[in-house]
Amino acid sequence: MQKTIAVIFGGKSAEHDVSIITAHIPIIDSLLASGQFEVWPVYISKDGAWYADKAMNDLSFFKQDGWEGKVGGMRKTGLLFDNGLKLVLPGLFSKTISIDIVFSAMHGTYGEDGSLMGLLRMAGVPFIGCDIFASAVAMDKVLTKQIVASEGMPIVPYVWFTRTQWEEEKQLVIKKIKKLTVPLFVKPVHLGSSIGMAKVKNDTELENAIEVALHYDDKVLVENAIEPLIEITLPIMGNDEPRVAECERPLNKTEFFDFSDKYLSSGKKGGGSGANSAYSEVPAKIGDELSNKVKELGVCVYKALGCEGIARVDFLIHADTKEIYMNEVNTLPGSLYHHNWKKAGVSNMELVLELVRLAEERFARQKATAYTFHSDILRKVGSSGKGGSKL
Amino acid sequence: MIHWLSRRHPQYIRSLVYMLQASEYNIVDFLKWHERVKDFRHIEKRKHLMFTPKTIILFTLGWIALLATLGCAAFAFYHVASPWNYLLSALLVFEAPLIVMVSLLFFVVCIRFVQYPVEQFLIARTRKRLSAHRGIKIAIAGSFGKTSMREILKTVLSEGRKVAAPGESYNTPLGIARFVKELQSDEDVLIFELGEYYPGDVRKLTQMIRPEWGIVTGVNEAHLEKFGMLEKTADTIFELAESVGASRLYVNGESELARARSKNGNILYTRAGAGEWQVENPTTDLLGITFTLLKDDVSMNVRSGVCGLHIPGPLSVAADIASRLGLTNHEISDGIAKTKPFAHRLEPKQWPDDITFIDDSYNGNSDGARAAIEFLASLQGRRFYVTPGLVEAGTRVMEVHESIGRKLAEAHIEKVVLIRNSVTPHIESGLRAASFKGEILWYDDMQFCLSALRSLTTPGDIVLIQNDWPDQYA
Repeated sequence: MQKTIAVIFGGKSAEHDVSIITAHIPIIDSLLASGQFEVWPVYISKDGAWYADKAMNDLSFFKQDGWEGKVGGMRKTGLLFDNGLKLVLPGLFSKTISIDIVFSAMHGTYGEDGSLMGLLRMAGVPFIGCDIFASAVAMDKVLTKQIVASEGMPIVPYVWFTRTQWEEEKQLVIKKIKKLTVPLFVKPVHLGSSIGMAKVKNDTELENAIEVALHYDDKVLVENAIEPLIEITLPIMGNDEPRVAECERPLNKTEFFDFSDKYLSSGKKGGGSGANSAYSEVPAKIGDELSNKVKELGVCVYKALGCEGIARVDFLIHADTKEIYMNEVNTLPGSLYHHNWKKAGVSNMELVLELVRLAEERFARQKATAYTFHSDILRKVGSSGKGGSKL
Repeated sequence: MIHWLSRRHPQYIRSLVYMLQASEYNIVDFLKWHERVKDFRHIEKRKHLMFTPKTIILFTLGWIALLATLGCAAFAFYHVASPWNYLLSALLVFEAPLIVMVSLLFFVVCIRFVQYPVEQFLIARTRKRLSAHRGIKIAIAGSFGKTSMREILKTVLSEGRKVAAPGESYNTPLGIARFVKELQSDEDVLIFELGEYYPGDVRKLTQMIRPEWGIVTGVNEAHLEKFGMLEKTADTIFELAESVGASRLYVNGESELARARSKNGNILYTRAGAGEWQVENPTTDLLGITFTLLKDDVSMNVRSGVCGLHIPGPLSVAADIASRLGLTNHEISDGIAKTKPFAHRLEPKQWPDDITFIDDSYNGNSDGARAAIEFLASLQGRRFYVTPGLVEAGTRVMEVHESIGRKLAEAHIEKVVLIRNSVTPHIESGLRAASFKGEILWYDDMQFCLSALRSLTTPGDIVLIQNDWPDQYA
């Protein structure tokens, strides 16, 4: 019997459009191809409204002119938490669809940051990917570095500050930054896809870059830029026993690997479809020894953050000394980095079905955990025993 | 219910015209198809209705018939006495689809009376033109492999002679008449493919062409539903032998039924050679095939772009005919080098992500399937064999498909992807009987299967599509 799966995508995020691509390539395409699921696409618009309509199972829906108007004309979908998650499709003949499992394809804020995971945990429905805690930590580049560093793994020197600190203690912040070595990277702490990020070489560039970063986020990270640099990214999948894909080296076209490199490049190298198919070298030609070290460190980072399902760990490697630094963790790699998994011998369908299996495995484990217990506290509270009761 | 409703959908008339066109206006085939259809709104899947003068007339006639029927219903409602008016008008409205269909079939039958004398005139004119044509005529008959043989011959002989051959499926009297009309009269060699659907078809064509040379590519179950018995198929194909001298008739020795019908003096050809030409050391890959061609003291290392270990047979036929027509060894070798994979017949293509796709979708017979499995087995990588099975295998449907299953198991193909229909369970039976170790995947239709394969494959995989059922069989 087919299971009903909801694929949630879009959302109030700078990566809204990337999320639509991830949802379809490879997630919905593979789920449908497997024949094992009834797939309900659940689209969250930029203003936060939820819509569910099977017409949206086809990516071409989102390529047609005026698709946003068509979505706006649909009835908004309601959610019901009733022994699991249910979609409520309103109308003359309203329909309630019971969801067996949720596949989140939401990048960035309100999705990848743990917000959606919290909602799904409350609903009591299994969902694919990292849980609320790993997602929330990985979304904060500073928290990620703090945890990784506390586990004794290497990171580059950095400074972080909030918008308030920048506005009220600017000189103190700059003094801290001066202790770092130029060139520096300035990054908004909570944004992915390199949005608002800049590489700076002097004070003027630094202040401008910080202003830009603060336009997108209220917490900013400034860190040493490694030069000469080899960037490596490593997709990882699994719960207790993670498996790694191939080390991948982005082929930078701009000075750093920005949003357009990641999602708008149209070279032939990757050859595949989807977001991340055309800009990188897979497997990276960095030698077996270095590759193995990266993979080993990647698994340690994955476990340290408590990642489950799938994630991608990014590294910075000094090209001369071969020193490896953990850079950041992405708990929903664009298009699941399916192009990389394919090179590692995992087809899109195997990838998606394995993620479903991992989600169900975790859900079964969570169900076995007791979150409530019997207590007499209500019966006793306020009772008129001598001297009252002590809570 | 959907069947009933879809017959009352406006799309129904277009679907009827398309079905007639796709059935080549064969009323029996059309009616069998009509009986099988569940939803007339979605008939045109692989191909679409081509608007020719005939289909435009049919389409218009269909609408006229429908409007006239509805007009009659309205007339009956107002002018026939109650309660018969209700009954009659309801009957006309509900049975309008039947009236439309009968009108179209009536038109198809009527047009035959007009067409027949026209056809006879065209055939007579073609016979006259061909008898006056100075070119050597080579005719190819067989249940399978005719197009491949035609293209190989054309390519090889073109190195030293001016050659003409009809394109695509010009293998009926009218098709050939159309081709002959375009000839320049200075061609040295004319190559004809002879289509066989009913007993007497090949004789009719050979009487028109009067070929000097003939090639029988083989006999198998293709069109068995029409012939009923394999013997009748063989009889029809070997009608070619009646008009070609024994020493100028090449017969595929790898086809058991064809070999059994061959006579003394016929030239048997196999992958080991043809006539005086011997084949040695064949090796095949996705780029084609290489082998050594030997004759007396001549030895040529040749390469062809056509894939498969069975291909040296037709290539050596071409070499032998070329040699007998006076082409030099150098020209023969160059001609073989120019042969390329034929569209949709073991045609390798590259999909994104380093996935190889072998299009054998026009190859829908048991010998072709055997050659395809043999070729796939010779390739390195994870191999997918995708098929909806073969059509028109008649009473041998189970035997033919179980044999395909067994061969796939023996070839250790990793993934067998089957399209659900009446014949593929027999392939599964064959696989199980031969203790198939790979994975069997099922899909409802080929289009969905092809898109699913993008999700199933990884770099280095090889996907072979064996046959694709036309709409009338799906």
